[in-house]
Amino acid sequence: MSDPNGTGNDHDGQLMRRIRARERPAFLEFYDRYAALLLSVAARVLGNRPEAEDVVQEVCTQIWRRPEGYDAALGTLCGWAVTLTRNKAIDRVRATSRQRRLIEEVALSADSDESAGASANELLYGKERAARVRVALNALSSEQREVIELAFFAGLSQTEIASRLEQPLGTVKARIRRGMLKLREELGDML
Amino acid sequence: MTDERTEELASARVLGALSAEEAQMLDRQLQDDAELRALVAQLRGVTSLLAGTSTALQPSAQRRAELMRQLDEPEAAAARETPASRRWLPWALAAGFAMLCLVLGWQTNALRVRLEVAQHRLNELNRLADTLRLESADLRQSVLTLQQSNRLANMRIALLASQLHADPQAVAVSIWDNERQSGVMVVHHLKPPPKNKDYQLWIIDPGYPTPVDAGLLQVDPSGNGRVEFKARRPIQSANQFAVTEEAKGGVAVPTLSALVLAGT
Repeated sequence: MSDPNGTGNDHDGQLMRRIRARERPAFLEFYDRYAALLLSVAARVLGNRPEAEDVVQEVCTQIWRRPEGYDAALGTLCGWAVTLTRNKAIDRVRATSRQRRLIEEVALSADSDESAGASANELLYGKERAARVRVALNALSSEQREVIELAFFAGLSQTEIASRLEQPLGTVKARIRRGMLKLREELGDML
Repeated sequence: MTDERTEELASARVLGALSAEEAQMLDRQLQDDAELRALVAQLRGVTSLLAGTSTALQPSAQRRAELMRQLDEPEAAAARETPASRRWLPWALAAGFAMLCLVLGWQTNALRVRLEVAQHRLNELNRLADTLRLESADLRQSVLTLQQSNRLANMRIALLASQLHADPQAVAVSIWDNERQSGVMVVHHLKPPPKNKDYQLWIIDPGYPTPVDAGLLQVDPSGNGRVEFKARRPIQSANQFAVTEEAKGGVAVPTLSALVLAGT
């Protein structure tokens, strides 16, 4: 992400090179910068802080021990870490049959505009940019937001979403595509 | 130019919403398509921003310290170092064995994995069912306890002593359930009444100016008896119980001079 705070691709690339070179200060920098974001997303998926902290610990350990898993051509270091965190959290949710609760929460949150407190984006990018993300999300249709959040936070596949919402699979795919491309367009300068 | 179908795949890929087959198909495309890689990179950035809409939480200093300690710990596999001179032998044996297993176990392995997944899922469901059964039993027990304690709270138990100089051993116990508006009285050592008389049971409720009729009480020739009784009028508070000797068939208002048993 190109960002004046130094979270851009170049910075991520340098940070990752230093982590690969086993430089602990680089890893600490990574942790101090992104751990709050990772914890926030894990806690949102799991609904349980201690488990979310376990997941973040696993992800960070994995990044330190196997940094070769990161491919800069496929996104930022932050994006990779978020994906790892989200996937591990979803795996835990699936293993403990909590997905139904999560789906209900996601469905509820799709109807509300504001989250309970300051967002992780606010910590990472500041209020103004966090507000821009919120505005961009709110500019999506409720149907687009719903399918995107069910996929990302509840871990449902497109087929599962179609079945749950009783919509044709093609409709769900189109909503996800249009929603994601619209967000990319709105937030392009932050990516 | 990336087509709509590929954009759909890329969008769902970064959200983790593709099936395994679709994800593999996209990954193959990614290897040869720089434009598609750039799209996935941007969309992954979108998911990071989406993730960032979650309510912010700060990791604790304790977790940070734990993680830093873990960084120094070698991984389990790395901890077991083997001398270099002998390292090739186990590797060669393992490779040969692995090849053999690969050929022989290719199909059975896939089945085993599926079986393990199904077994794991079944175990999870069984654990969930056990938990729900236990919770259900706990709840039933709690409800029973509450019902019992509530019923006891509504019970009135009274010991009725003899009021007769000629028959001082006569005694009775009355248990009154206010919720059900019914009771039981057990009598011992009370001589049977004369042939033209009956024993009549009364409940004294301060809500009424006179005792409330609760029916007749029969005793056997040895002076013992047990009767299930109900009041003729709704009882709010059964403060006292009494038994009088009345004309055959009972009366509407008790004859206090003929008091046989009384108690609270």
